[in-house]
Amino acid sequence: MIGQRPPAPRGGLHSAEAADVRKDVFQTPAASARALTKTFGRGEAKVHALRSVDLDLPRGRFTAIMGPSGSGKSTLMHCLAGLDQADSGAVTIAGTDLGSLDDDELTIFRREHIGFVFQSFNLLPMLTASQNILLPFELTGCRIDEAARARAAHLAEALGVANRLAHRPAELSGGQQQRVAIARALLLSPDLLFADEPTGNLDSAAAAGVLHHLRRTAHELGQTVVMVTHDPVAAKYADDVIIMQDARIV
Amino acid sequence: MRTIFLASLRTFGRRYIAAQIAVSASVALIVVIGVLIAGARAGIMAADGAPYRKADYVIRAPKDDPQRRPSCCPGTLNTAAAIDLIARLGENASGLGRVALPLRRQDGAPLRSGNLRDETTVGPIANAKELRWQALVTGRLPAGIGEVVLHVWDANAMNIAIGDRILVGEGPTVAPLEVVGFVESPTTWTQASMYVTWRQYLQWRDHPTFHIGSVAVRGKIGRLPQGMTAYAPEAYVTESLARLNNGTDALALLLLLFVCVALFISIMVVANTFSILFAQRCRDFALLRCVGATKRQVTSSVWREAAVIALVASAAGTLIGVALGYGLIPLVNALAPRTPMGFPRFPAFWLLGASALGLVVTMIASLVPTRRAVQMSPLAAMRPDVPVDIHTAPGRFQLALAVALLVTGLVSLAFAMIEDSKVLMVAGGASVIVTILLIGPLFIPPMVTACGTLLGRYGRLAAANAARNPRRTATTTTALLIGVTMTTAVLTGLATWRTAIDAHRDTRLPIDVALTSLNKPISTTLLTQVRQTAGVEHAIAVNGAVARMTGLDAPIPVLAARNAEQVARDGGRFTKVAPGTIALDLDSFASRGGTLRIRPGSRVTVRVGNRQADLRVVLLSGWGKAGVIAPETLKLLTDSPEPHVIWARGSRGANWLQLVDDLDELADATGGTIEDRLQARAAGNRQLDVLEWSALGLLGISVAIALVGIANTLGLSVLERARENALLRALGLTRKQLRQILAAEALLLSVVATLLGMSIGIVFAWVGFETFVVRALRAATMEVPWISLSVVMLVVALAGLLSSIIPGRQAAAVPPAAGLLLD
Ligand SMILES: Nc1ncnc2c1ncn2[C@@H]1O[C@H](COP(=O)(O)OP(=O)(O)O)[C@@H](O)[C@H]1O
Ligand SMILES: [Mg+2]
Repeated sequence: MIGQRPPAPRGGLHSAEAADVRKDVFQTPAASARALTKTFGRGEAKVHALRSVDLDLPRGRFTAIMGPSGSGKSTLMHCLAGLDQADSGAVTIAGTDLGSLDDDELTIFRREHIGFVFQSFNLLPMLTASQNILLPFELTGCRIDEAARARAAHLAEALGVANRLAHRPAELSGGQQQRVAIARALLLSPDLLFADEPTGNLDSAAAAGVLHHLRRTAHELGQTVVMVTHDPVAAKYADDVIIMQDARIV
Repeated sequence: MRTIFLASLRTFGRRYIAAQIAVSASVALIVVIGVLIAGARAGIMAADGAPYRKADYVIRAPKDDPQRRPSCCPGTLNTAAAIDLIARLGENASGLGRVALPLRRQDGAPLRSGNLRDETTVGPIANAKELRWQALVTGRLPAGIGEVVLHVWDANAMNIAIGDRILVGEGPTVAPLEVVGFVESPTTWTQASMYVTWRQYLQWRDHPTFHIGSVAVRGKIGRLPQGMTAYAPEAYVTESLARLNNGTDALALLLLLFVCVALFISIMVVANTFSILFAQRCRDFALLRCVGATKRQVTSSVWREAAVIALVASAAGTLIGVALGYGLIPLVNALAPRTPMGFPRFPAFWLLGASALGLVVTMIASLVPTRRAVQMSPLAAMRPDVPVDIHTAPGRFQLALAVALLVTGLVSLAFAMIEDSKVLMVAGGASVIVTILLIGPLFIPPMVTACGTLLGRYGRLAAANAARNPRRTATTTTALLIGVTMTTAVLTGLATWRTAIDAHRDTRLPIDVALTSLNKPISTTLLTQVRQTAGVEHAIAVNGAVARMTGLDAPIPVLAARNAEQVARDGGRFTKVAPGTIALDLDSFASRGGTLRIRPGSRVTVRVGNRQADLRVVLLSGWGKAGVIAPETLKLLTDSPEPHVIWARGSRGANWLQLVDDLDELADATGGTIEDRLQARAAGNRQLDVLEWSALGLLGISVAIALVGIANTLGLSVLERARENALLRALGLTRKQLRQILAAEALLLSVVATLLGMSIGIVFAWVGFETFVVRALRAATMEVPWISLSVVMLVVALAGLLSSIIPGRQAAAVPPAAGLLLD
């Protein structure tokens, strides 16, 4: 776990190791989906959200999933992240078939392998920024030790929120909230970081800051990042772009 | 999870205040009852237990002793055997008993006070200091034959001073006694007006009322004579207490029922609080689940929160209860000096039980909301819309359950009426209430909406707000509904009972006061004086003659009343006796020491002068020591009937004690006597009053808890609607208008709850009437106390309005801009 590593010197996010990881970028995908199908509703009101989607997400890259509203981007992401069950098809992350896990196993798997950043409401309002960042660690049931604190401080520093750590979410700007959310998502060094419209609620300057940090995460930390967006400007920050239309990848 | 748990407590702790109030109130209620029961027990030990406090054993007759001595005092010891035993044990034994004896001053002047007429009760005082239970007030205790101490109350009443000489007893056993002191003694069955040494007491051993009820013994008893059993003093008093409790069983049951109602309402208020708070926090829970909290982690965090809330509430409730309970004891002592309460030790059992119950109630209440919160899919965090209450409408299972419960409930109630079964009645009532709880969301919101349209613009807005969370509105309303249902049922039940009892008493006690003058006929002056006495509604003189009757030593008046309906409470029905019969007042003849030897149906000879008639006896009650005969029969006995009796009726609301005193004086002055049934009537009324007010007080607590629930629901909803309220304010709604909308909402909830609760309560009362009252009093009819019910309705509606004040202030305090920024 990266969580136990010593903090890297200021300015770089483990660039040396990132280079190592990059070598096998194309060897095993970070996540793959096969023949994912999902519908909502029944009869007349039946809506196809995913029609037999196949997808491989390469390791260590920043992938954007683009498409018009209602094309199934979010549904795909939910299925990939184990938040929702597809009607048929399989999702494999880090060699594990998500379909074989029960609710508790899936939860623990999510905790250890997947990080999330949502459009809004990322942070628990009653916790401070630093408590929010440390939340995934706390959920593992371990005592919060110096190493975890140091890693949280380091991530906060790297994301530019180090001086806001004692504040509650209500006292942070939208951009700051999203960056705190990214720091939390990265705390346990997940295999995959999912971001659903992370800049949807932000002005362009704040959005640029968040996107910048997401890209650095991929490039300097070797983190696999998947971002859902319908904003072409946001998609420009990504390494790869997948376009969805009418519940299919085109 | 600790961080989350602590942060949640810090952030949301204040929102649990209403739930805590509900739990604290219930816990406090139980603790108060516990302290008062312990206090009553301590009081009884201090009073009834006083003669045995320093004793090692109490000797009394076994419970199933076949030969019970004097008819006045059943269950006493064999006098000779008891005297022998006490003689053998000497200083270590103290005999306890009484004898009723005539009393005069030594110069022959009579001594009387109130009901005591030239008669007194005398008890023994123990030889050993340790076994004496009378407390000396002034003077000294009797040292030997010829000395007596008086109870200070009797001494005051009879105007006796220390050093006075009195004559106690009659004939060969008359004893001249010198008063050497005054004592006080607790109210036990051994209490007497005066106390003498054991040796003196034994002088009256052949008097018919002389008895030894029990013997308190220090140290070893040795061989116990036949027909005696030894008890430990504690056990003896506890057993006496149990006998006393038999009479108060119904009260204990009532208390238990009311505690259950309070607990049930608390559960609903607490469950509602949790539901609302968890609905507001469901996105937090979903987010937690997203970032990797397992269901169990979320559950345990929520449970720990609930446990802390419960602990704090239970502790507060226990403290309040103890303070209130111990505070009430002196108050009860001041208000009801005849049933003194002691200061008990902490009733640990009650304290622990109540706290545990508070804990359990809170945990039970948090069960369903917690399950729902945890069932939340993690995805919910990402939906942009704020999900509110999750399960709003009752599901198919709940509907089926509700129908099943309703059917079994109604069938149980029906059978309860047919079979007169209390258990079925309570079970049926509970089923109906649970049904309402289950399907409340279906019909309560429409009712609220319907009432809302009556209230105009604010009413409609308020109704829309209330109808949007059917489950929440239904639970809030049902909590109050239950309180109102019980209040209505109890009020109606007691009103019916009171009317029935009154009707029953009117036939049993038709004449309030009877003034009898045997020696000379009643003068018109006396009749006028009686009629002019304050508190007399009307009085009539009844014609008759003074007669001697077989089976009775003293002469009695025989009367033929023509216009008894003017004063009799039964309309004079008791005077309509057939010719050839004589009606006798059973109670009057039975009360004085012996029983009436005349049986109903037996024949007696009634003689006036030298004429006589053979009459058949009918036993009735309620007009004093006189025979009632038909006018035809009276004609046979005398040609010149004269009035020997005045019958008077007391007016409603008058001071009856004063009235009886005044008439007593009139009677004394003319050499007559009076008998009254007013005191029995007043005592009966007082009992019903106490029952009614305690029932209402206890239910008031439940209703108050339910009203706290309304304030709570409103307060929490206000937080939830902060953004909407801000929008309304931005669009031009004034603060006052916003407060009015909330007031309308509170009013709607309480009025709907009251209307429903009263309807159900009247039905319950009818069931209770058919189950209990009709069985006891066939002629009873149901009485609905519309005036009391209207008062209840008004009070609850006002309290509902009151409960909207704090939420209204909260809502109005948020500036529109701040509200719009809230997430
Ligand atoms: N919970 C749901 N219930 C019903 N339909 C849904 C639900 N979630 C998504 N859909 C439907 O599935 C389709 C895909 O939705 P989504 O994946 O959210 O699209 P996108 O994120 O690309 O806007 C849409 O037509 C949407 O209406
Ligand atoms: Mg979407």
